[in-house]
Amino acid sequence: MRTQAGELVSLQVRRKRVKCLSPEINETEVRFISRMLTRLVGEMNATVCEQCGKCSSACPVSKMIEGFNPRRLIAKVSLGKIDELLRGDAIWTCTACLKCRERCPEDVSPYDVILILRNLAYRAGYGYPAGYDDFIEGVIGRGFISEPQAVRTRDGWKVSRGDLGLPEVSGPGDMAQFSAVVKGIIKAGRQG
Amino acid sequence: MRYALYLGCTIQSEQFGYEASVRETLPRLGVELADMEGVSCCGFPALNSVSKLGWHYLSARNLAIAENMGLAVLPLCNGCHLSFVETKHALEKDPELKNVINMNLDKEGLSYRGDVRVVHLLEALHDEVGTQKISEEVVKPLEGMKIASHPGCHAIRPSDLQKVDDAENPRKLDDLVRALGAETFDYPEKIDCCGSQLALTSGRVTLRIAGEKLQAVKSYGFDGLVTTCPFCFKMYDGRQRAIKAALKDDSLSLPVFYYTQLLGLALGLEPARLGLQMNRSPVDGLVKSVLE
Repeated sequence: MRTQAGELVSLQVRRKRVKCLSPEINETEVRFISRMLTRLVGEMNATVCEQCGKCSSACPVSKMIEGFNPRRLIAKVSLGKIDELLRGDAIWTCTACLKCRERCPEDVSPYDVILILRNLAYRAGYGYPAGYDDFIEGVIGRGFISEPQAVRTRDGWKVSRGDLGLPEVSGPGDMAQFSAVVKGIIKAGRQG
Repeated sequence: MRYALYLGCTIQSEQFGYEASVRETLPRLGVELADMEGVSCCGFPALNSVSKLGWHYLSARNLAIAENMGLAVLPLCNGCHLSFVETKHALEKDPELKNVINMNLDKEGLSYRGDVRVVHLLEALHDEVGTQKISEEVVKPLEGMKIASHPGCHAIRPSDLQKVDDAENPRKLDDLVRALGAETFDYPEKIDCCGSQLALTSGRVTLRIAGEKLQAVKSYGFDGLVTTCPFCFKMYDGRQRAIKAALKDDSLSLPVFYYTQLLGLALGLEPARLGLQMNRSPVDGLVKSVLE
């Protein structure tokens, strides 16, 4: 049984809200994001994006989620409606499949625009999916999103890396130094 | 052939079947694997969404370690592959960014030059080992098995940075499947996404995206599906029961393998050494048919 085509799901992303912006915005990071955005938006005025819709027709999410449409997203960016995009959930529902980037005849990449908008939303305190925190804290705290765990076989036995003869996992070396550097970059300009 | 083996978070923490089967099979085909010391996450997913700078930093530090080893790096995960390729390109294009990254790497005693080669597993197997060599090593051909190939998004896209295979008509995984004596054929959903990256924002939609592809694959008469990406594998194998429930489709059941698990079976290796006991999808029937 196939699910019905055209049946759209409306989405509410559980967002982590951020209290306030830090006064000390890291200049390098902001310069970097602005440059990325300028480059993309600058290349993406109405004469570049023809609104042909190849991106949306390739997008696996547009078919499923109401309000997600890369073609419309690009139109909003070129009309300067950045704030609306940063507040909305749409930018957080891309699967990063990159079909839009691959198929755009004008070399506009909705995927890259979405990544930049996400960066901006995080920096500017518009909130981001709550689930991202475990990933971020995992990387800062131990170098990896997750740590080696015991995995169950189909028969219900638990096996570890050692049981399978796999070598021990190495960490990033000087953990304190690694954490400080990575935290400095990721959380620059952010509180909390 | 000698590569710096980069496992990444998902594989080293839980996708033991992939790692075990890679470690068992590649050396038998003349590929030496060197473990990397001091590595970290590549920054994908999630990190790239909140700090592109942090993402490039994490990838560049892993690439710097491979450079120090003097080896090309072999990331087994499609997400890590994308990160490395994108970072390499971004730092090449933007000297100021490379500078900022190197200033930070210096605090960890590392530096990134940018001459490291990033090799995808499909390239290592198809282009460097070659299907001829692989088929010569096969002792238990997977005859009569119809296997759908699912290369996964980041093995084939973006093709402008590193063209692992044709973005619209990828053939390498198919060739590799055929080299084992199995059958494969094209299907319309072959280059479609598994949806795993939506899991953090909408589990329901993720299951539908993955489920509709599994249903399609099954409807074409395939006996199983093969991939080399741990995210895709987790969706199609690990979450197959959840997909079944979400789509209310009891008949939806399809064996899912890592390519290196099928390769190992064809090379005559024991299923347990290939981690096949950890696949959640119903692989027993096909595994048994190879052993008989």
